[in-house]
This record gives sequence, C-alpha cells and structure tokens, in this order.
Amino acid sequence: MTQTNMTWIEGAVVETEIHMTIVELAQASRTPEDLIMAWVSEGVLSPAGSSPQEWRFGGDSLKRARIAAHLTHDLDLNTPGVALALDLLEEISQLRKRLQRENLG
Amino acid sequence: MKFKDYYETLGVARGATEAEIKTAYRKLARKYHPDVNKAADAEEKFKELGEAYAVLKDTEKRAAYDRMGANWKNGQDFQAPPNWNDGFEFTEGGGYNPGYGGGYEGDQSEFFESLFGRGRHRAGGRASQGNTGQGMHFKGQDHHAKISIDLADAYNGAKRTIALHMPTLDASGHVSTQERKLDVSIPKGIKAGQNLRLSGQGGPGVGEGGAGDLYLEIDFLPNRLYRVDGKNVYLDLPLAPWEAALGTTVNVPIPSGSTLELKIPAGTAAGRKMRLKEKGIPSKEPGDFYVVPTISLPNAETDAQKNAYKAFEQAFDFNPRANLKG
Repeated sequence: MTQTNMTWIEGAVVETEIHMTIVELAQASRTPEDLIMAWVSEGVLSPAGSSPQEWRFGGDSLKRARIAAHLTHDLDLNTPGVALALDLLEEISQLRKRLQRENLG
Repeated sequence: MKFKDYYETLGVARGATEAEIKTAYRKLARKYHPDVNKAADAEEKFKELGEAYAVLKDTEKRAAYDRMGANWKNGQDFQAPPNWNDGFEFTEGGGYNPGYGGGYEGDQSEFFESLFGRGRHRAGGRASQGNTGQGMHFKGQDHHAKISIDLADAYNGAKRTIALHMPTLDASGHVSTQERKLDVSIPKGIKAGQNLRLSGQGGPGVGEGGAGDLYLEIDFLPNRLYRVDGKNVYLDLPLAPWEAALGTTVNVPIPSGSTLELKIPAGTAAGRKMRLKEKGIPSKEPGDFYVVPTISLPNAETDAQKNAYKAFEQAFDFNPRANLKG
C-alpha cells in the first residue's frame, strides 16, 4: 500500500508543547471552572500566571485534572481528598518505576 | 444474554439495607477504580459495580429486579419475562452514570439495557464550559483514547493507522459502537504517559461551534528486551564469566533498530550499570540508555567442563563468603 496519498494527522504533545487556559482545561477534563480554581487553591494543579484568566496549565496538568475529575465524580471525593489521593498515587507510581528499573516489578 | 446477580457483584445479601449496599459499593468502588487499580480487568469490574449499585440503590428498580430475578443465578442464560415490570414506574435520573471513561456515558450492559432501557443517558450531553446558550453554538466535546506503540516508534517517529471505538447514540436512543480509523503521525521522542492533542477530531460541535479535540494517551507495548522509565531505557546484558572478568566488546541493539559497539571493561561486576549517554528516547534533552550486565554461568555437564571449573577453582584463592560470619 503506497502511503503517498495519505494525510497523516499531526498532533501536539500536550505535556511539552501545550499550555492550556482554564477554559481549555475545563473542556478537556469536563470540569467546571470553579472546581478547577478550587484544585489550584489546594495545590492539585500549579499553573503559571497570577490570575485565572492568565493561568496556563502545562506539563502533567491535563493528566492530573482528569484523574481529579474522575475521583470527584466516581468516588465522591472532596478537594482535599482528591489532593491526598493524587499525592499517594504519584508516590505509588514512583515506587513502581523503581521496582521496574531494578527488574523486580 | 446472561443474568447478572447484582447482589453477588456487591457482595451483599439479598435482604441488605440501603446503607449496607451503599457502604459495600463505596468500598469496592475505591478498590477497583481504574485510576487507582492498574489491573487489566479493573475498569470492567468498576463498571459492573456501578451498574449493580445503580439498580440496587434505586427503590423502584431494586423492587422490580428482586421480583423478576428471584429465581435466577448469576451467569444463567436469561430472557426477561414479558410484562415483568408491570406496575413499576421508573423515574428519570435513575440511570447508570459511570462517569469514568472520559464521558462515554451510556455504557450499560446488555442485561441492564434489556431491563431498564436507557435510563438517563448523558452521552454527548455535557456542553462545553463557558457557554451561555445564546444561539445554541457549542464546541464539541473533547474525547480521550489510549493507544499503544512500539518503543521503536518513539525513537524513530512513525505513521500509524489506529482504530478507535466510540459509543454513540443513534436516533432511537440505542447505544452502539462506531469504529473510526485515523491516520496519525506519531512524533519522534514521544514518551509513555504523554498525550497527543489532535485538534478537531473530537465530538461534533453544535451550530457554529467547532469540533472538540481528541487526546491520545500514549503507552508503550511491553518489550521483550528493554525496560523504559520516562526517557531512559534499560537493557540487561548477559555476559560469560570470562567476559566479565577479562573484558570484551559486544554489539548492543538499541530500540531505533541500530546497534552500538560497547567495550566491556575487565573486572565488570554484575549489576553495575553502564550509561550510554543520550541514547535513550530522543528529544531536545534525550534520555540515556543503560546497559545492566548480568553474569550467566554455563552448566558443567561433561567431564571436560567439570574439570575446567575445577581448574578455575584451583587458580584462585577465592572465598565469596568471607564476610559472612554467623
């Protein structure tokens, strides 16, 4: 099959190339903006910028926001609970990676 | 279609109180939530729990289910008797909203659908934030999907045709799965856990609202040779004892498909990682490639081999357990 006629869709890598506004993050994570603001206050997300309109969410913000949204919706967690859960999940992830590096996990 | 015993799913008795059902559900939901539980069947199990809870927590549905299901066992072939729900009025809002799954609501089992119909579908329903509703122009929903690629694709970039399955609502309100093929360019240097945003490939917009975006989360397929941690790649390199002791040169395959010649110095100990700088996943700041030596001992089977080992022993005054004192 020749590939010369195909149009290959290109994407942007979210973690390194995209800095989302609060509106974009709200859309992508299906979360109301005021809940995103609560997460920022709690330290779940750390955008650049000094006011909600200026906030730009980069790095793993999308991933964290989506997990936060799932935990809020599915497990009825409040914001401090979500924050703790994300911290613990991150710690578990680091431990798993260590095991993997040592070929034990 | 198989009968589903929702009580068994939640691990509660048929006479359980609402409070007991709620507690049982919450405990299991925490345990099997896919963001928390990385087992392959966690998501399926989580959906089953949600479906069971949606029925058993709703007084009307539970009563109807109890009446109909009293004589059935989990997994039995099942057909709902006609008029089984006579006299029961199911209120709106009692549907099963799993939430998890990036908004593909409406993903009920065939069993649930045959008894309770659509419930309250919100598929495609959550309008994008920030709309005030003038003129009904909504940006389409963003969609999320996961794809697995080879490590080699991250090294070299790749063009891949991927198949996505999107649950959709048809005109009569039934959920079906549509397959969609996309030709995607995988950029060189992408790492597991990163997301590719494909603009406009998400849900259709309303009115003059544009289509939403599609986010593809990248994962690496398990690799026989390599372990990956972020942008670093690890390879176990088996060496013969004489190679480790006397040194040698080996050809190391790297995920891009090429090989590197690596000098193993004399006196290499097992486990002592050797770093090949910037031979990990390529990037503006590329990762490193680590070779982890392991020593493989050939079995002494023939007399000649046993004698070789004995000569080996004689040549050294070697006690590996010198530091082990009881």
